[in-house]
Amino acid sequence: MKNPVIERDLIGVLRLRKTLAMQIGSAVLMSGLVLLRWPTDARADLSGMQAQDVFRIFGYGLGLTMLLLVPAFPATSIVREKQSGTLGLLLNSPLSPSAIYFGKLVGVLGVAFLPLLMSIPAACACYVMGGLSVNDLLYLYGVLMMLVVQLTAIALWISSVSESADGALRTTYGVVFLLTVVTLGPYQFAHGQPWPSIVHVSLWLRSASSLPAIMEILGHADAGLQGLVGTKGAPQRFTTIAAATAVVFSILTILRLNPRIFDRSRSQGIITDDRSRAQQWLRRLLFLIDPQRRSGEIGSYTNPVLIKEFRTRRFGRSHWMLRIIAGCAIISLGLTYLSSSGSLDWGVERVGGLMVVLQVGLIVLMTPGLSAGLLSAERESGGLALLQVTPLSPLRILTGKLMSAVLTTLTILLATLPGYLVMIYIKGSLRQQVLYVLVCLLLLGAFAVVISALVGSYSRRTATATAASYAVVSVFCAGPMFFWLGSGSLGHHTVESALLISPMAAALSVMEVSGFETYNLVPATWFIIVFITVILLVILTWRTQQLLLPK
Amino acid sequence: MGDQDPVVVTENLTKRFGEFVAVDDLSFALPRGRILGFIGHNGAGKTTTINVLVGQLRPTSGTARISGADCVKDAKKIKWLVGFMPDTFGSYDNMRVREYLDFFGAAYQIRPSDRRKRIDEVMEIAGATYMKDRYVESLSHGMKQRVSIARTLLHDPDVLILDEPANGLDPQARIEMRKLLLRLAAMGKTLIVTSHILPELSRICDTVAIMHHGKLRAFGPLDEILKELSQQRSIEIQLASPGQADQVAKLVRKLIGPDVEVTSSTTEGVVRFPTTFSERALANLLSKLVEANAAVSQFRELQTDLEDTFLAITQSEKTQNDTQPPAERAPTSKPGGAE
Repeated sequence: MKNPVIERDLIGVLRLRKTLAMQIGSAVLMSGLVLLRWPTDARADLSGMQAQDVFRIFGYGLGLTMLLLVPAFPATSIVREKQSGTLGLLLNSPLSPSAIYFGKLVGVLGVAFLPLLMSIPAACACYVMGGLSVNDLLYLYGVLMMLVVQLTAIALWISSVSESADGALRTTYGVVFLLTVVTLGPYQFAHGQPWPSIVHVSLWLRSASSLPAIMEILGHADAGLQGLVGTKGAPQRFTTIAAATAVVFSILTILRLNPRIFDRSRSQGIITDDRSRAQQWLRRLLFLIDPQRRSGEIGSYTNPVLIKEFRTRRFGRSHWMLRIIAGCAIISLGLTYLSSSGSLDWGVERVGGLMVVLQVGLIVLMTPGLSAGLLSAERESGGLALLQVTPLSPLRILTGKLMSAVLTTLTILLATLPGYLVMIYIKGSLRQQVLYVLVCLLLLGAFAVVISALVGSYSRRTATATAASYAVVSVFCAGPMFFWLGSGSLGHHTVESALLISPMAAALSVMEVSGFETYNLVPATWFIIVFITVILLVILTWRTQQLLLPK
Repeated sequence: MGDQDPVVVTENLTKRFGEFVAVDDLSFALPRGRILGFIGHNGAGKTTTINVLVGQLRPTSGTARISGADCVKDAKKIKWLVGFMPDTFGSYDNMRVREYLDFFGAAYQIRPSDRRKRIDEVMEIAGATYMKDRYVESLSHGMKQRVSIARTLLHDPDVLILDEPANGLDPQARIEMRKLLLRLAAMGKTLIVTSHILPELSRICDTVAIMHHGKLRAFGPLDEILKELSQQRSIEIQLASPGQADQVAKLVRKLIGPDVEVTSSTTEGVVRFPTTFSERALANLLSKLVEANAAVSQFRELQTDLEDTFLAITQSEKTQNDTQPPAERAPTSKPGGAE
């Protein structure tokens, strides 16, 4: 029997213009990456080194494209149906939950595999250059296909438990970051230690990330091992873990597909102000900031939009901010302590590099989620019409909104400061370097907030705005790194020029992390980022006025 | 400004979206303390007019004033004079009702100490006090409408503009909404209310504006408009012998003229026709029917309500349009985002 869900989810999406744009875009991107390294003279490269270089850039580019593009489709697939009410119709139809699920899975996979298919001509070009075997290509595509299946299954489950499309997107990209980057962490510390069982567990944990598998296929050393002997077999382990997670999350999602999926308890709860005085004191002691107390009035001199933004965010209230800051501070301290006491041979620079990468990851993960919906959420919910009739000026509204994102980003970044303080304590001469790194991170945070808000202001849907902002910020952060990956043949000057727009690269060069110590990026990068951010801010101000002033 | 001075005035107000004329030369003046029912089909130009009045749209030509303030030149002043409730709620997640109202109170620069008192007052007026600790997104549609009205009252505006306040409400909630709007009018507020539920509107409005294809087709006190339209009366003849219906219809057509549309139903045993005959002429008609042995059991005039009035006005427009060549007809499609 034909599955109508596949027809709607796959055929319907394939007919869209944006799908065509995605296909053409990915084909152009992949071809561009290959052309970037295509030999320009008539000399033959018998060693195959140049072909390997092209293959690496192509492989990483394809992997990044999958990580950025794939989650956007399944993450919103079920939650959108839930919001529009069509999921209820599907559940009331004779289709079984598994038929609905597999219809959606096949539909999303069909769309997600498109960029992979479109990259095949570029892969063939890599093969033609020599130095590669068919097996290399097959392994790469095999791992990437498993990555797509894994991400799709996880994102569909997140979509089934989420209440809003943009929330589902944020969570999905968070999980992608967790799976791809954070899972690598424990092995970094356990590797080479005399605890075989912990090493074994952390090895399998890092196998949940596609990065070591892709790196092994592309002939790079194991991620972050810095010359230590790595363990082979990452593609096989990743395939096993990806298949297992896909099966588990598929079962979990199928179990969610019943009428109870619409249940949502939103009880007001017992308000602390209505409890006895003793209970009020006890709660104050336990919570520090009690989530169930009645909020006070917004102060006369406070921007009401700023407070509103904090209050309406899922984790924006003070009690949540307190917990997030405490968590960040503990993780930062723990990382620094572990790396400095457990692996003294690493050196403070390397620990600093790790922290920079983690903080950049945090910014890339957080800021689009915070900023993309600043204006698009108002447009989607109808709040914009209400703001328009209040005496608040467009500039005040924009300031309140931007500050809510900037303050959150800043607070969480500052919460990671204790780690740097430990580093300065260990090596006092790092004081200035740490200061420079913080400037780089702050500039990256400001840039990411502004560009996400600007990208989001052009969309009426928060989910679309969030996905687009994630893509833009990720490409901005990862793009220059492709030039760095090809530093072997691109030349120092070309790579340095490309890295000038990357605050992450600037921070890594300041920390003198291996591979970045030869580039002189500060303060040129600061000026460039400040200039770009100011320009974007001007455009955002104009855009906000355009949205809020009478048409 | 005196109590009888118009508080909402539009003069030759026109709004175009490209080639499409959403509001065409609209002029009216609404006195203080009135409840204006703004009626029209989808795309008639109601929401566009409202958006111009609240300062969200700039008119292409003409002016709109509220309490003497120009809706374009004095846009800031208008924000204080008008309380606007759009047809969408504008919900914010994770906010309790009190916090929601507190945000809008702060946006209207009400001092924190006054704001607390004011929020209590408006929630009391809107009958929303019991929901103060509830999350906004968990409220039912009727509850959200109440909170919305409380929000529009926060800054104590002169004029309340409510776009479809009864839309989607159940009968009980509609009755409560009606009482609430009447209470607001009793407080001296001037209300402009749009609705598709015409019987509901006729119970609360004292003034009516009927829009069709961007033009104002009728404006004035409800009673006068009903009376004006009832010059064309609808008469219904109930027959004791239903089989006579067709025969009686023929006779009526012969007596009042062949151009009049006389309808008959043999199953119901009724004959209906519109007429401008005087009472005396109608009495003559009845006696002639009786002379012709028609078994008339009832001869009565049908009551005209707002719905009939609206249909009469808009259908007469449709008939006129149908007789025109297509190029001269007003466009019926609506542009993006506007009515």
